[in-house]
Parts: sequence; structure tokens; C-alpha cells
Amino acid sequence: MIRFILADLRRFKGGALAVVVLIALSVALSVTVTLQERAVRLGSARAAEKFDLLVGAAGSETQLALSAVFLQPSPLPLMSGAVLAKLSQDPRVDFAAPVGFGDSAYGHPVVGTTTTLVSALSPRLAEGALFARLGDAVIGADVPSPLGAEIKPMHGGIDQGGHVHTEIVYRVSGRMAVTGTAWDRAILVPIRAVWQLHGMEGDADHDHTDHDHADHDHAGEAPDGAAAGDHDHGHEAHIDADAALDEHFDADTPGIPAVLVKPKTVADAYRLRQEYRGETTLAVFPAEVLTRLYATLGDARSLLLAIAIGTQVIVVAAILLVTIMHVGARQRQIGALRAFGASRGSIVAIVWGELFLLFLAGFALGLLLGYAAARFISASLAATTAVRMPVEFAREDASLAVWFVALAVLVSIVPALSALRLSPARALRA
Amino acid sequence: MLALDIADLVMCFPGLDAPVLAIDRLHLPAGARLAVTGASGSGKSTLVNAITGLETATRGSVSWGGTDITRLSAGRRDAFRAAHIGLVMQDFHLFPGLSAFENVVLPVRLSRRLKPAERERALQLLETVGIARPHQSVETLSRGEMQRVAVARALLSKPGVIVADEPTASLDRRTGDEVAELIVRLAREGGATLVVVTHDPALTERLDRRIGLDGGRIVEDSGEARAA
Repeated sequence: MIRFILADLRRFKGGALAVVVLIALSVALSVTVTLQERAVRLGSARAAEKFDLLVGAAGSETQLALSAVFLQPSPLPLMSGAVLAKLSQDPRVDFAAPVGFGDSAYGHPVVGTTTTLVSALSPRLAEGALFARLGDAVIGADVPSPLGAEIKPMHGGIDQGGHVHTEIVYRVSGRMAVTGTAWDRAILVPIRAVWQLHGMEGDADHDHTDHDHADHDHAGEAPDGAAAGDHDHGHEAHIDADAALDEHFDADTPGIPAVLVKPKTVADAYRLRQEYRGETTLAVFPAEVLTRLYATLGDARSLLLAIAIGTQVIVVAAILLVTIMHVGARQRQIGALRAFGASRGSIVAIVWGELFLLFLAGFALGLLLGYAAARFISASLAATTAVRMPVEFAREDASLAVWFVALAVLVSIVPALSALRLSPARALRA
Repeated sequence: MLALDIADLVMCFPGLDAPVLAIDRLHLPAGARLAVTGASGSGKSTLVNAITGLETATRGSVSWGGTDITRLSAGRRDAFRAAHIGLVMQDFHLFPGLSAFENVVLPVRLSRRLKPAERERALQLLETVGIARPHQSVETLSRGEMQRVAVARALLSKPGVIVADEPTASLDRRTGDEVAELIVRLAREGGATLVVVTHDPALTERLDRRIGLDGGRIVEDSGEARAA
């Protein structure tokens, strides 16, 4: 039986191939949509995992979450550094780390922070050591510079025409392990270096006298807006790169765009969020913000999936048409098989089996194609955002597959039954 | 070995007023060898279709060894034909892509598992009909060889009846003669009743009885003439 089916398919290999390719392409479309949506969802959820609670100046929750989790450049307002000091001393807080954006180097974001955050992102460095001096930098796994390399920070991004900060040259002291997040592309430097670069702190030993200066400076401003207008930092003075780190923050701490908070318990997390939602500050769970974004993503997925299923229906209809014509053309063969004693059951099985085989082959090929396409898209997304997007099948996909196979069984039985409509003699004359 | 009894058989086609075939009575004893002749359109093929159950009779009965095949359902009729009637056709109807051996056993294989004895018989039949390489692909054979494979296929299930529709018409004279001789000899050896539709006088010569058809009716019957 199988040999006969295969011999038959070999005779019609052009048509069989076309049918398989048609099915494969339509299946691949739905597979890609399903897998890619899941990959983006899982990937960004994992990227947000280490960011329990973010505190920033009052403004957009989404913007705060996207900027901190995905290091998306955007104009975040600054909040008073006193908030950081207060959070650092709060007994419900495991640690609180400042996050200062705005600069970049060779297209990689330069983020001012503390060693605590580096250790939180990468408990063990891949190589080198944490920063010990103001001029040290720890780089993400995807930053190509070697240990000891010099990094010249630039205000804003290279594509936004920012200027190079000449006051300091960072030296790479360590490299984080792969985190699978956007932070793999980041260059992490001491927050005080960022403050000093932007003239927000008086001098290296931060004997700060010019408090109000901090409020209108731009450690976290949009690169585009900032780069164009305000270069009057008044900080031509060289920064002492060898100065020791100081990671204690008090009420005089300069302004910062965001603080990452690791609460001790879940209850603490909710209490802290409640407390820091006010007139001047905003507290968000990035995971919650992302969940809202996924809802939108989910809607887009439903739409794409509906389109994909629509194309599948059209393809199945086209295949049905082709098969019915094909059965018509091979009535002679079917008549002969019956004339020479093949049972009716075997005729149905042959016609049905051939079509079902094509469906299955197309389905399998479509799965492979869709998986490959999703992998390719994920890989190119990861290359630009550094967020690892895991392409994987899930349990619920099985029910989709079962539906497809069941439909294929039903659809392919129609031409099989129509093959027996004519008497063998009439079929032989066809 | 089965006897044929036809009674009041009428075959009509939709759109045609006159019946294509109308046979009041025809008896063929078991083991007889009958030639059916007549011009094209005389109803020869319709007769073959009626007695093999390939076409449903409009009226009347066709009995093989007491089984009226006009009363069987289409499925049972296919099964009866598979079990009792070996068919040889003008166009061979072999299946390309399969070997000579696979073609011979195809009808059995499509319905059930091939028994070792049937496998042996298939190979032996192929040897008998003169196919030296049974595993050669069927489309590479000559026309004469193709018809020999078809004859082997018809005989595999040891049918009680062999019906051949113009078996030599698409072959050249010498090949045709060889195939004709083969069919008659194997039918005799297998003890099968043989019905052959043919134009070929050489083939008609080899058979005991001849009926002539015209306009769907039997216009001459050598058997009756002899009896009379």
C-alpha cells in the first residue's frame, strides 16, 4: 500500500511538491506568529525579572519601566537624590541602586550605577573585577571591548549628534556574565562619575555646595534634546579617574532618573510601591507594566493568527480543488484498481492516504520553516536589543496541531469518497 | 470453474432510448471457451462490463455458478470479481512505477497481506508467461511483455472465470498470437471458463464457441447452430 502510494506520488511529484509547499508556507506563517509572540513575551519577562521595583520621578510608568529594563533612550525627568538616600536606609529594602542614563559609547548605553547593581545583575563576573575607582567601567557580555580598553563616553547617542565628554576616559575593569537582558549591551560606570561629568557634583570628594544645580541638570535627559541645547555644564575641569568610590548617599545626593529597589519581602514591595507613589515620585513593578503591554501584543497576535488561519483555509480550499480535479483525472486508474480486485476500502485509503501524506509533509515542513523564521527574527532582535527571546513550543501548541491534523483527515476524506462515485466501467472510460 | 447464465439482461445508458445490450438468454457451461465478436458499437464491451459486474445492469440477471451478481451491492460485486474473475484488457492497465511482480500482486496487496504461497505463485506465473526479470520496472517492458504481466495478474487468485477484452488488439500479429495462445492454454490448465471479446480470427479459432453481436443483440451463435 505505502509503496503504491509513494510510486503514485513520484509520478505526480511536481503537483505533490506544490501542494506541500503551499501547506508548509501557510503553516509556517501561523507557527512564526505564535512562537514569536511567545518569544517576545518570555524574553522581556525574563529581562524584567531582576527589576523588582523601580522608583522614579512622577511621569509615565511605561517609560520608566522601558528605560530601566530595556535601556531605551528617552527623556526621563529627574527626581531628588534624597529619595535614594532614604531608600538606602529603609529597613525593608535589601538594596537600592541608582540608575543614571544619558551617555553612550560606540552605540552602547553608558549607565551610572553602583557595584550593588552590578552584583545583582551578574553575581559572578565573567572576567575582571567590579569598579573600584571613579574611572572604572564594567561592561555587559555583548560589549566587544577587552579588559583594560578605554571608553570615551559621549553625551547622548552617536546618531543624535552628541558631543564627546573629554573630562574622563573610562577603563574597562570587568565584564558581566550573560544576563539575557538589554543590560548585556550596557557599559556600567560609577554613578558619581556620571554626576561629575554633568556638573552635578562639586568635585571628586563630593563636598557639594551647589545643591540647586542638580535639579536642572540632565543626567537622565533625552540625548536628542540635551545634546542640542545645553552644553554649558561648566565642568571643563578634569575628573580624577583614580578617585576612590563612594557609594553612600545622603540628602545632598544629586538628582537621578531612577532607583532600582530590591525589597526584602513581597509585602515590603507592595508597601514601598504604595509609599513612593506620590506627587513627586512614581513607583512601578516593571513586570506589571510589561503585562499591560503584552495585552496589546496579545491583541496583535490574535489579529495575525486570524489572518494566518484565514490563509490556511484558502490554501486548504485550493488543495481540495486540486485534489478533486486530480481524482477526476485519475478516474481511469481508480477504475482499473477496482476492476482488478482492489477493495473499496483500499481505494479510499490510497486516495486519502496520499492526500494526508501531503498534508503531513507540508505540516512538518511548515513547522520547521516557522521555527526557523522565529529563531531568525529572535536572533536579529537579540542582536539589536540584547534581550534573549527564547523560541520554544508550549503545551497549548499541541492542541493547535491536533486541530490541524483532524481537519486534514476530514478534508482529505472528501476526494477519497468521491473516487468511488462512478462505476468501475465508467471510471475506466474516463 | 463457473457456469454463466444470463436471463433477460438489458443495459441502457442515460440519454439513449434503445438499450445498448439486450440478451434474453445465454448459457455458458463451466469450463467453456467463448469468443464474442461484432463491429464496434455492437455492445461487446457492454457485455464484458455486465458479466464482470463493472457496470450495473439496468434489468435482468447475470449469474456465475448460481450467484446473481446484479443483486450484489457495488462493494460485494467488487469483492466477487476479485475472488472469481480474472480480467485482461486491451490497454493492460498496469501501474507505472511498480515492478512486474508488484503489478501482479497489487490487487491482493491492496486488500490484505500477501501470503507466501501467493508470492510463489506470482513468481511462477511470471515465469510461465515468459517474464525473465520479475523485478524489472513495468514501464520498461515491451507491449507484448506488458500484456503477459496482465495475464499473470488475472490468474493470480486462481479465478473460475477469465474475461479478456480485446487482449491482442493493441499488439502486433506475432506477439498477439503468442498472447492468445497463452491465455487459452492457461485458462485450460487452470480449468477456468473463458470469455474473450475479439476481432482476431486467429484467436476466435482457438475457442469452442463464438457469438456475434449487432446492435446489442446476439445475431449468431455457433453453439446454438451446432446444437440445432
